[in-house]
Amino acid sequence: MTGTTSGSGGKFRTSLPHDDPRHLIAHHFLNEEAALLDAAAWHLWLELLTPDITYLMPVRVTTMADTDPSTLGTHARMDHFAEDLYSLRKRVERLSGGHAWTEDPPSRTRHLVTNVRTFTAETDPPVPEPTGVGAVVEVESALLLFRSRGDDRPPEFLSAGRRDLLRHTEHGWRLAHRSVTVDESVLRTQNLAILL
Amino acid sequence: MRPGPAEEISAAISEGMIPAHVYGDPEVFELERRNLFPRTWVFLGHTSEIPHPGDFVLRRIVDDSFIVTRDDTGRIGVHLNMCLHRGMQVCRAEMGNTRMFRCPYHAWSYRNDGSLAGLPFHDEAYGGEEGLSRDRHRLVAPARVETYNGLIFAAVEDPGISLEDFLGDFRFYLDLYTAQSESGLELRGPQRWRVNANWKIGCENFVGDMYHTPYTHRSVVDIGLFREPKAHKRKEGVLYHCGVGGGTTYKLPPGDFTERMRYVGYPDIMIDRMAALWSEPQRRMVGDDGFMVSAATLFPNLSLVHNWPIVREGEDVVPFISLRQWHPVSATETEVLSWFAVDAEAPDDFKADSYKAYLMCFGSSGMFEQDDIENWVSITTAAAGSMAHRLQLNSRMGLLHDGGQVGRPLDDFPGPGFARVGYGEFNQRNWLQMWSRHLFPPGAGDTTGRDTGGER
Repeated sequence: MTGTTSGSGGKFRTSLPHDDPRHLIAHHFLNEEAALLDAAAWHLWLELLTPDITYLMPVRVTTMADTDPSTLGTHARMDHFAEDLYSLRKRVERLSGGHAWTEDPPSRTRHLVTNVRTFTAETDPPVPEPTGVGAVVEVESALLLFRSRGDDRPPEFLSAGRRDLLRHTEHGWRLAHRSVTVDESVLRTQNLAILL
Repeated sequence: MRPGPAEEISAAISEGMIPAHVYGDPEVFELERRNLFPRTWVFLGHTSEIPHPGDFVLRRIVDDSFIVTRDDTGRIGVHLNMCLHRGMQVCRAEMGNTRMFRCPYHAWSYRNDGSLAGLPFHDEAYGGEEGLSRDRHRLVAPARVETYNGLIFAAVEDPGISLEDFLGDFRFYLDLYTAQSESGLELRGPQRWRVNANWKIGCENFVGDMYHTPYTHRSVVDIGLFREPKAHKRKEGVLYHCGVGGGTTYKLPPGDFTERMRYVGYPDIMIDRMAALWSEPQRRMVGDDGFMVSAATLFPNLSLVHNWPIVREGEDVVPFISLRQWHPVSATETEVLSWFAVDAEAPDDFKADSYKAYLMCFGSSGMFEQDDIENWVSITTAAAGSMAHRLQLNSRMGLLHDGGQVGRPLDDFPGPGFARVGYGEFNQRNWLQMWSRHLFPPGAGDTTGRDTGGER
């Protein structure tokens, strides 16, 4: 039941049914991952990543409705995160090292993951078994990240959409790509000493 | 008569003491909003952000919104984002490309050079040109707009000094960041985020605080992001201050100009261009003396940073440059605008690696920046309390009780202004003195040398 339909918002895809094994795998993966992040189990989280992980969070800019993003200059292409395994590992090492003052005392976070939609993804070469080793699924989710720190400032929210590629490796399902679409152009949070 | 807040602050600052409330006091913010920001040169953006005719970005000076445009003839202009008719903001996008800014209220339209192009029912409603002459109406502009090395600055009211004269000899240092080739910088960004910190703290941190590096940034050293295993190497650098700007440097290991530029990760093709473009004293500062620019602040609220982390396991370091503006929102809130900047002529693979270096270190997710802002938010929270009116923070590092100084300025430093090796708050005091002179309205208080910087 996957396919695309053209609506007023352009290309709109229909996701896999929620009883599809790929959807169940993806949804389970995202919930388990969120639990690790909220428990600050950074090192366990790193184990969920493929060695060639790309982790992106572009800066959103406020443009007029008729602005074609491709007409904006290269200066507009900026990210909050453009990470690979090395830089993610460095961030985790820093957060776990006892001297990352901005997370001491630590944030209390809640990664609220909803609107999970799973899609088939092409692989090269094609995998005969849709959930077999080598298979890839694409999954979109909505994330509302609640973050509270200390006791004298109001808590912060980050609202974002995520588009992930999960790959079935010989060690299990792993995150191979994440693209975070944050819903604010000016972040109302002290920093991104957290992971989304 | 009881002295006003500007007098009290000024007197304390001249002793190297900072009334703590200045980091959280709405009354002080009001003085800054009224007397400082409209009356000096303020950074708005860079020409590389608006490379084509019709390109624009939206920027602010405190609460005034300005459209920074490149018009159809290629000229840079700055226009108040406020319709002449009912005051509506005629531009509500932060960037884009347009020939015309049209007010959505009554459809008055302005060209991208700010001039009024048309309005509906001009004849019927206004009696045509006789009632409202289009030629004589344009969006309000700041008193002066000038550029240096592509950096666009505006002054809301005429500060009585050109941008070049305002920058003065600080250009010697500014060039090291912004003129690495004839083509100058290209910027990416900015990342924008709001923090509950007073805008001044970032300015002071970048202008001369080498003393915080070993402790605040200990985690970044711990994880081996830098070649140097010890953060207290920082005290071997010089602090320099020159007129409206000052900054910090790192001391590089022995070598000549080329070897030292390679040490921080520049490829030979870029080193050759810098060697050709920079003056003999600029080359000498790096090549002979081994001082490489790091953080800096240009008064009032533009900071620069240059550093060189490892961006790939087991590989060499790669340098990056960032421009950042501490945009004041209120006494207790700052919007940080942080750009990645790179020499426009740099090889593509260098640009990509340098961008990665930037993202790891500075900006909204940067591992240095995270801990810096943690400090600044905490200071601001404390400074908003009533007891902050009774506390003067000690900013006397480098001064003795008898008026003497710890150490002395270098005699043979190749750059202008003064430079001294090691920790000290000479730069912060210079920045603060300049700031405190700007708290007074024109003609009041001691505003000597208001826009040309301070003392040694």
